[in-house]
Amino acid sequence: MIIAERKPMPEIMEMISGVKKLLVLGCRGCVAVCSAGGDKEVNIMVEAIMLGRRLKGKPIEIDQDVLVRQCDPEYLEPLKEKVKDYDAILSMACGVGVNFLAENYPDTVVLPALNTTFYGANLSSGEWKEMCAGCGACILHLTGGLCPVARCAKHLSNGPCGGSVNGRCEVDPNTPCVWQLIYDRLNKLNLSENMRKIMPIRDWTPSGEGGPRRRVREDLLP
Amino acid sequence: MSDKTGKVIGFCCNYTTQVTQEPLKEAGILPDQVEFKRLSCTGKLEVSSLLAAFSRDGADAVFVAGCPEEECHNFSGSRRASKRVKYAKEILSELGIEPERIEMFFVPRQETEPVVKAAKEMLYRLEKLGPIVKEQVDNERDSDDSGKAA
Repeated sequence: MIIAERKPMPEIMEMISGVKKLLVLGCRGCVAVCSAGGDKEVNIMVEAIMLGRRLKGKPIEIDQDVLVRQCDPEYLEPLKEKVKDYDAILSMACGVGVNFLAENYPDTVVLPALNTTFYGANLSSGEWKEMCAGCGACILHLTGGLCPVARCAKHLSNGPCGGSVNGRCEVDPNTPCVWQLIYDRLNKLNLSENMRKIMPIRDWTPSGEGGPRRRVREDLLP
Repeated sequence: MSDKTGKVIGFCCNYTTQVTQEPLKEAGILPDQVEFKRLSCTGKLEVSSLLAAFSRDGADAVFVAGCPEEECHNFSGSRRASKRVKYAKEILSELGIEPERIEMFFVPRQETEPVVKAAKEMLYRLEKLGPIVKEQVDNERDSDDSGKAA
């Protein structure tokens, strides 16, 4: 899922400094699962803003809502009638939701409450880890299912850099060297031959280097 | 302690205080500016409820009195509450508010005195901290009103 985290409150308070009527809009997609922008977090944000404004002696009128997703047009549709009532929408979705809201409501100020950080897995309650970089050219069949693009600090395609020590990354000793993990796992699966395969120089075009990516499926188009 | 010290809201679970606030106030044990909100379990408390005590209910200090950490009637309720108090402290700090305005107290079950003691501790803190909303100079308020969203 997409992992995000709340921006610091001073940044948010600065963004909404001139706003008198605000809609705080959550999302029940990824950001709800990673406890950044779902129902509970919207409630917290509303109270934090009210408190911040109470301190400044500048009351603010806030409405709140949480959409099933902010990245699908059908869920944004019901906002059509009410967005004009607000000075701004503070979106608690990932960057996709903020962009999509902004594109769909060109006359409305849309502000981000979150920093969108990575694609990750939930290790345990309150802990997430990056596992995919969305690079557009998956090589996990060669690496035992472990991604060197996302999990190697240097994004290396062909084995460890030589800087890892005792299986730990030289960039951050708290992080296991993913190439060590790949090597161990391929051995365990009797797939160590994969280590000998030389991956060609990576084409980064599918990763977004060629501009914003777009995917169209003719069979699904209306 | 005068009412000007500020308002304290205390969230207590059913097991930490057996007495409601009215008889305690009538007996002069609990100062008037303290308000108890009783819950079935402090684990039920959300961070938003803690912040709402400040933002909507006008509290200058807030405390949570839950069961001893390892003896919670509902196993982990008071531990959960303590984590939420910790997160509320972080948000207060980010907003420039002293984090000691909110505190978690683990108190023996079925005794009222430790809860009253917690309330008095918060009042003592308020004597030093003053009200949460400080006097604001007019031009400071005006400068915040400069425009729409950035």
